[in-house]
Amino acid sequence: MNIAFLSRQNLFFSVQRRRNRGLNGLYIVVGLFLLAYAMLFPGLLGISGFSKFTQNWFPLALVTMAQALLMLNGGISLAIGPLVSLGAVIAATTMGGPLGPIGGLLAVAASGLLVGALIGVIVAQLRLPAIIVTLAGSFIIGGIALIILPRPGGFIPDWLSNLLAGNGPVAFGLLVLLLVCWKLFLATPLGLGIYAVGDNPVGAFRSGVPVDRVRVTAFALSGLLTALVGLFVAAQTGSGDPVIGTPFTLNSIAGAVLGGVGFLGGKGTMRGAICGSLLLSVMINVMFFLGFSPVTQYVAQGLIILAAVAIPELTSQWSRKP
Amino acid sequence: MMKTLPLLEARQVFKGFFGNPVLKGVDIALEPGRVHALLGENGAGKSTLINLLSGALRPDSGEIRVDGVPVSRFHPAAARAAGIAVVQQELSLTAELSIAENIGLGAFPRRFGLIDYAALSARASEVCELVGLTESLCTPVGDLSLGRRQMVEIAKALFRKPRVLILDEPTSSLSAHEAGILSRLIERLRGAGIALLYISHRLNEVQALCSHVTVLKDGVVTADQPLAGIDAQGLVRLMVGRDAGDLFPAWELPRRGEELIRLRGFSSGLARDVDFSASAGEIVGIGGLVGQGQEDFLLGLYGAMGSSAREAVIAGRSGPLKSVEAANAAGLAYVPADRKREGLVLPHSIASNLLLPSLGRIAKLGLRDRGAERNLVARLVKRLRIKGETSRPVQALSGGNQQKVALAKWLPLAPSVLLLNDPTRGVDIETKREIYLMLKSFAREGTLIILLSSDTPELVHLCDRVTVFGEGRAVATLPRELISEEAIVGAAMGINPKGSAP
Repeated sequence: MNIAFLSRQNLFFSVQRRRNRGLNGLYIVVGLFLLAYAMLFPGLLGISGFSKFTQNWFPLALVTMAQALLMLNGGISLAIGPLVSLGAVIAATTMGGPLGPIGGLLAVAASGLLVGALIGVIVAQLRLPAIIVTLAGSFIIGGIALIILPRPGGFIPDWLSNLLAGNGPVAFGLLVLLLVCWKLFLATPLGLGIYAVGDNPVGAFRSGVPVDRVRVTAFALSGLLTALVGLFVAAQTGSGDPVIGTPFTLNSIAGAVLGGVGFLGGKGTMRGAICGSLLLSVMINVMFFLGFSPVTQYVAQGLIILAAVAIPELTSQWSRKP
Repeated sequence: MMKTLPLLEARQVFKGFFGNPVLKGVDIALEPGRVHALLGENGAGKSTLINLLSGALRPDSGEIRVDGVPVSRFHPAAARAAGIAVVQQELSLTAELSIAENIGLGAFPRRFGLIDYAALSARASEVCELVGLTESLCTPVGDLSLGRRQMVEIAKALFRKPRVLILDEPTSSLSAHEAGILSRLIERLRGAGIALLYISHRLNEVQALCSHVTVLKDGVVTADQPLAGIDAQGLVRLMVGRDAGDLFPAWELPRRGEELIRLRGFSSGLARDVDFSASAGEIVGIGGLVGQGQEDFLLGLYGAMGSSAREAVIAGRSGPLKSVEAANAAGLAYVPADRKREGLVLPHSIASNLLLPSLGRIAKLGLRDRGAERNLVARLVKRLRIKGETSRPVQALSGGNQQKVALAKWLPLAPSVLLLNDPTRGVDIETKREIYLMLKSFAREGTLIILLSSDTPELVHLCDRVTVFGEGRAVATLPRELISEEAIVGAAMGINPKGSAP
């Protein structure tokens, strides 16, 4: 009786705790890698080292969030990379102009929202598979980025570069802020709708969830996050590069998959995806410090991703057998 | 006499799909404080009627009335606003979300735009108590058994405080204990003045819970009366009996050959502990309500699904078949129900579909023999009277002709056992007759035909024996002289058929 009363009081928090289910293994692996990294590179524990590390991780964390948001909703995006590039070139071309840095930031955010929403409308209204629409979109967006800025250049104010990619842990602070925003979003009917539509669209529709609106929202928010990554990357490098985002497409999927986000929708958690991206980022750093050749790094990365997907699948098969 | 105003009613509704009428002028009225049963065979139009009442579909003509007022442009949101809740057979839950979140989905209490978890928790635990869900509200639904999920689904409907509650086969996945809770709950809701529509294939439940019954048969209401004074046999009689006309060829005594299939304690998928035997030249029917393990039984026989048996002899081999290749080698062929997805390669030509199973067989030195292929296709097309140029893609054919292609492609292998899964579903009358004649002639040539069908008259007129499935078990095997629609439907609904030998 007492326990029932308690759980009633704290339904929100007990639901939150339950979402850690099945992630303990991942937490341990990430912890071990972080430990190994801290031993190889003790500078990680200082402010400056921590800031540099989180700045390297930050763009990957954000694109992974953007991808996980879509995968939870039963979609996927192959246009993450080009959209990062688009964000970067828009930032680099507007910030020096009449709009100024704030105007540039708004322009990047607006273009991300708009492109995402447009893809979402096409996917939701025309009922086309997201993978095809975003594949086509990746070519179009990549092309537009090249038209806006054919070769690396543009202008990013120094103070912005120093703020985002300097010696302070601003990026980490922004990540924490984003996670709080995600928590709030997930506590709205629309946010939970992301899960419901991803897992059982017909059931969600019958329950009164506005399925199409949820889909468009997911794509729009994902686009916003992705374009903002472009701004960050531009600040990091001090200029806009029309192809800088390319590796992010597949890395965002890799991070989400490492974090236990399922391909069929409705399965996984954002905290898992964030951990997945952290694991990917630390892994690359550790291998770099251990002196792996780039080729070996790629192969090892691939094997680890494969293992991350195969292990849960195999254990569930084994546990099903009597 | 005082008449209570119905909360929800359908008046003379007609609904058809692709020119095929499903409901032909149906009336139903749901009154407050009454449990109304809706009965009918597979395909009688029950689901369509539910969809009309809940706004998921709109009638072609006729009207839906809420509180006596006709509603135009009825849609699911309007139905919800009018207090109509439906518990569908397929669940509408999200596995990753908690019980409470699932219950509130689409109707969350909010505060400042956020879900008010405190209010949700209080109201969800109220409805959970009603349906006897004792699990913690934060348990993800994916952790629950099917029966418990069904209870969550019912709690979800109650959460919206409905005035009309439609329950479509709510007990099909419930344990006896849960079903007991549900029936007490229904009593309570009835007492609270809610109008209930109860769809079930379990006649004893219907008789225990309901006070009024509407029976549908082929889209027409055959009874709309108080349940008192009508027994189970009478209900079954109202549900069956169709004018078959001269659709079916005359039944003839089979020339029984050697025993091809003998199973003892055969299990695969939903089908459990089935005893079954059949001989060459017979047409053996597999009947029962949809989804009682019949399909799994066929797939298990065919080696497409894992199976086990105490004793099994299939086409002269002992032990259950382990793979489709083994089944084909033993002379078994399977024609799936979903011909578009499983039976045919739609964009390919009629000819290449017909050749697919025999490609390897008529090749010479590993290369295709075009001449032999052409002959074979010509022979099959002639024998099955498949209309249309054989180079056209199969998807250009009508449903009936597609089915004939799906059937014909196996003939060159001269199967000794033909497993058919609902071969006439969605097929026009003329082609149906052709298919029936074909089956008869195959049987005459000594093929064993196992015919799974959801169309009861088909089983009655074609089969030499019918095995009826219920909840995964072969509940009755009716010999020719006992086969009737009443007997098949009765056996499927758990009424002991007279003189049935298992």
